[in-house]
Amino acid sequence: MSQPYLRFENLTKVYERGQVVALKNVSFSVEKGEFLVIIGLSGSGKSTLLRCINRLIEPSAGQIFVDGVDVTQLSSARMRRVRRKIGMIFQHFNLINRSTVLTNTLSGRLGYMSAWRSLLGLFTKEDKKLAIQNLARVGLEDKAYARADELSGGQQQRVGIARALMQNPDLLLTDEPVSALDPATSHSVMQYLEQMNQEDGVTVLASLHFLSLARRYGTRIIALKGGELMFDGSPSEIDEAKFKEIYGDEAEEVEVR
Amino acid sequence: MSAKNSGNRWQYAPSSFRSLWKRFLGFMLDWSIVYYFLHASMYLYLVFWGSQTIAGWNYYKNDAYAAFFNPLRLDSWMWWLVLGGTLLLVVLLRSFGRSLGQRAFGFSLQGVERSFVNAIQRSTRVIVFPISILFSPFQLLTSVIRKRPPGRGLLHDHVSGSSIRTYIHPSGLPKKRIWFTQWGWIAIALLSLTIFLGWVIIDANLGVLINRTDEARRVFMDIATPDFSHFAVPDPVFYQRAYPQMFSIINLMVLTVLMALAATLIGAFFAFPLSFLGARNLMCQNRTGYVVYSFIRGFFNLFRSIETLIWVIVFAVWIGYGNPFAGVMALVIHTIAALGKLYSEQVESIDSGPIEAILATGGSRFQIIRFGVIPQIIPSFLAFTLYRWDINVRMATIIALVGGGGIGDLLFYYRNQGDWSQVGAVVLAMIAVVWTLDYISGRVRERIA
Repeated sequence: MSQPYLRFENLTKVYERGQVVALKNVSFSVEKGEFLVIIGLSGSGKSTLLRCINRLIEPSAGQIFVDGVDVTQLSSARMRRVRRKIGMIFQHFNLINRSTVLTNTLSGRLGYMSAWRSLLGLFTKEDKKLAIQNLARVGLEDKAYARADELSGGQQQRVGIARALMQNPDLLLTDEPVSALDPATSHSVMQYLEQMNQEDGVTVLASLHFLSLARRYGTRIIALKGGELMFDGSPSEIDEAKFKEIYGDEAEEVEVR
Repeated sequence: MSAKNSGNRWQYAPSSFRSLWKRFLGFMLDWSIVYYFLHASMYLYLVFWGSQTIAGWNYYKNDAYAAFFNPLRLDSWMWWLVLGGTLLLVVLLRSFGRSLGQRAFGFSLQGVERSFVNAIQRSTRVIVFPISILFSPFQLLTSVIRKRPPGRGLLHDHVSGSSIRTYIHPSGLPKKRIWFTQWGWIAIALLSLTIFLGWVIIDANLGVLINRTDEARRVFMDIATPDFSHFAVPDPVFYQRAYPQMFSIINLMVLTVLMALAATLIGAFFAFPLSFLGARNLMCQNRTGYVVYSFIRGFFNLFRSIETLIWVIVFAVWIGYGNPFAGVMALVIHTIAALGKLYSEQVESIDSGPIEAILATGGSRFQIIRFGVIPQIIPSFLAFTLYRWDINVRMATIIALVGGGGIGDLLFYYRNQGDWSQVGAVVLAMIAVVWTLDYISGRVRERIA
């Protein structure tokens, strides 16, 4: 069998201030085309794990192989080249509020642009066309010239998806993409992610809080507790007992329909 | 990683010694307060009751102009008394109740295991501590080599069983009212003494305001009846070497506004790129960035703390006395520093989300600034720049006092001539322009923000 698309080896992250151990010797691998859901309590290391992959956070020890390349050893220039094939979607959308939706979408293209072109904001015709196409794909083509902060939460997250689409990514990291959204909007956003996963063949890593969403969209689930990997399996394997083990005894499962 | 759990006995020493340094600072604060009280009372004694006859002249008596540092002229033996007396008082203050120094640095006197200290222990400490402190180097040395017994602070006084340690407010208990604390009383006394001293030293005399109204009235009346004869027509008598032609009030006013505008634009042009180098969140990622950040911030703070008028003195010598360009250069320097600081504080307060997003798409440092930072800060930068123009116009009207050029030249010329009606005209022109600009920039800033 060929090597896995994404491989973690003894990944450890210690935050220097306060000596908090966020990740402890986490090792697992992800095949191409998987929709991997990461669950766990707040502070269990989900965000840290995702941010270590594109090194928004520097890992303390261990290795991460993306398509056979150890990203923990890359120089910052080469890391940028890797990053542009890795899309990312954030809990609070992280859009540039005062800019237009189109500019926000186009900013996904920055990794492919020369320094002076981007400094002057000179996006090519093809890029603009692609941006409109991607906005149409998330149903926002009529909002292209609206300011990003005029949009609702669900719409803003869809702009975030369009921005990630602009990168033409192989891998998509989504850090609690629906935590700030209501249940109905959550499903629409999750469906766009599912579409990217199934139609474009993008490998998706998503941290989620709702187990119902994880079961519905994930092809595989891993669970973190206190920075340690404590579950790795298919969605159907998580029963009541496992749930209590991951979230603690007092936890009750909440469903999002 | 495992250093924390390895039981290294050196581990606790640095933090303890840092707290010891803070304890020392608190002690010095208390000591300076006590000496300040002593010095102030000696000074007030000299002013109100003291006398010193020199060549038949009685100095000091009811004379506020007695220099504040005159009490320093004590005999050498008295200095020893002052030294010992104040030290003893400081120890007394720090042993009974919580002194201002202890409050400021977060310490209090505590028994073993943070227990209550009774009056006998406190009195014992007052007697013993001045002696035992002499042996403190040995005590510190042994506390490093051997572990201290638990529940005791550094420099623990074994005779009275007390030491000064980090204050932890007992949970559940309400905070003491300021009137029931030693530090509260001292703080209030310090404040009122300083206000009284200031009153005495400045020799504030409200009577003057009433006694001298007759002389002031003539000047006020002249100013209140401004003479606009040279408003648009240059005054042939007014001549400034720095100006190639003669100027009327309105011409000089236009010149002044343009000076401020030029200074603001040039200043903003330089402050804009510098502000990114002076922003902690962008620069303090690595050592080089930190050095650049510190340097730029130091530059901002240093050049901002030197007033524009002082820069005018420098540039008036360099460029020419009364030359408007000297004034512009002085304004530029101060504007760069002031705007740079305001700008970089604005950059520091931005939302880091978009930066993270641009970084994740593979953006470079410049792309992050161009797409993640600049869109967020443009409105407030514009507002600050307008505000600075406002300040610069006000400043430009008076920098002529030390050779910076502008309308102030005319103002000070007429004042020196005693031509108060003309002064009134110039002042009125200034008020009109400053008020108009203030109003416009205020409205525009409202719209932007």
